[in-house]
Amino acid sequence: MKDDPPIDAPFPFPYKGPSRLQMPVLAALSRVVDPEVALSIVDLGLIYGVAIDQGRARVRMTMTSAACPVADVIVDEVEFELEGLLPAECAIEVELCWEPAWTPERMSARARRFMS
Amino acid sequence: MQMRAPRAQRRATASPLTQVSRVALALLVALSLLAAVAGGMLRAGANWPMLHGSLLLSQAAGAHAALMLSGFLGTVIAIERAVAVKLRWAFAAPVAAGGSSVFMLMGRFEVAALLGVSAALVSVAVHLVVLRRQRAAHTALLLVSSLAWLIGNALFAAGQGAAAALPWWFLLPVLTIAAERLEMTRLTRRHALALPTLLMIVAALLFGATTTSAGFAAPVAGGVLFGAALSALALWFGIFDIARRTLFAHGLARYMAVCLLAGYAWLALAGIAWMGMVLGCPGRDLALHALGLGFIVSMVMGHAPVILPAVARVKLLFGPWFYAPLLALHASLLLRLVGGIGHPELRTLGAELNAAALALFAATVVGSAIAWRAERVSRIR
Repeated sequence: MKDDPPIDAPFPFPYKGPSRLQMPVLAALSRVVDPEVALSIVDLGLIYGVAIDQGRARVRMTMTSAACPVADVIVDEVEFELEGLLPAECAIEVELCWEPAWTPERMSARARRFMS
Repeated sequence: MQMRAPRAQRRATASPLTQVSRVALALLVALSLLAAVAGGMLRAGANWPMLHGSLLLSQAAGAHAALMLSGFLGTVIAIERAVAVKLRWAFAAPVAAGGSSVFMLMGRFEVAALLGVSAALVSVAVHLVVLRRQRAAHTALLLVSSLAWLIGNALFAAGQGAAAALPWWFLLPVLTIAAERLEMTRLTRRHALALPTLLMIVAALLFGATTTSAGFAAPVAGGVLFGAALSALALWFGIFDIARRTLFAHGLARYMAVCLLAGYAWLALAGIAWMGMVLGCPGRDLALHALGLGFIVSMVMGHAPVILPAVARVKLLFGPWFYAPLLALHASLLLRLVGGIGHPELRTLGAELNAAALALFAATVVGSAIAWRAERVSRIR
């Protein structure tokens, strides 16, 4: 796809886990879209990190606003996308955190280009 | 090894709301809206036999502004925030605001007023929690919106009447929208002037509302300032809001942008009409409903497909059919507010078609929820 990040671009968030799952996890999370702006949560820089080990996948992520009621829907979709990827016995935990605070610098070049 | 529990089950146990309380809140929202719309149609001269002769509906006509702004929008905004903060006590705000509508319709104004003040007080506390979690300009502005609601409800409780409370009641949705759009400007390279100019506009709105309702200084000057600030806010949205960019996205994001941009046009007109209204020109209907329906309800229609799945746990299938009620709303408003100048019968017909547009939107939402389920079933098969 023409919108895929270039091969030498840094991975958009810290990832710990089996390397065979790294790109599929990125693809799965990139399918979760903020409906207001039609940009993925990866492009918006909402994912702080993913760790997969010993039957457990942990995702740390944020939202741009603490007052937004849509957080649960986005967390649901993150879980839905990862469930389709990870084995059924793997527990999925999504942690919503406010520290460090989200800043616009976390957005991908593609997202910034779209919004500018 | 332990298997994952189904997502719906996990989410239901994590939610502070039971199914029963969710249905009860939905009923309070629906009652507030239906009563406000029926009362509004009576006020606009609708001559339906079913609307006349009922004490309940005459109460609804008298309390139209309170039911629509504090009852319906106050409840909806308070639900949104309670869902966001995930605190059980935060739901006291929408319950009290919705309950206030019920007592208003029963003619028990003192109980309704007390519940209205209680709802706004809880809402202020909720917004303090939000501000503590995220110290930002938009969360501070959301707190100001809840304080405006509190002032409006306190004025109403103090017997100052709906006219004194009106600018403050309008400030609840107007400042909520401004705060949410300010937050979205962070997704762009926010212009250095965006925040200071918005703060100046908000200060003018607050000063104008204070002078209008205090009665001791210059209510006309205050009203003119309030109207000018509304138009300035429309200009601010036109310059700084991301809707001009998301208009070039697709699907839901584009639909939301269309709702917003159409709303900004009505907001600009509402501000001018508001100034005219306080200066004694005709056009009160234009001032109040360009703002209430053209700007605020257009924004509500835009955000419902995103917010409803979050607060009601009902998924919707978005499609181009969402444009039909939006078009109906804006076309019927044009008929009512522009065609209705000097033609009371067109004004009444426009108001009836406004209600029809809202009914069409409700039907669209129900149809989209059914369509989502049908699509999911066919996907599973």
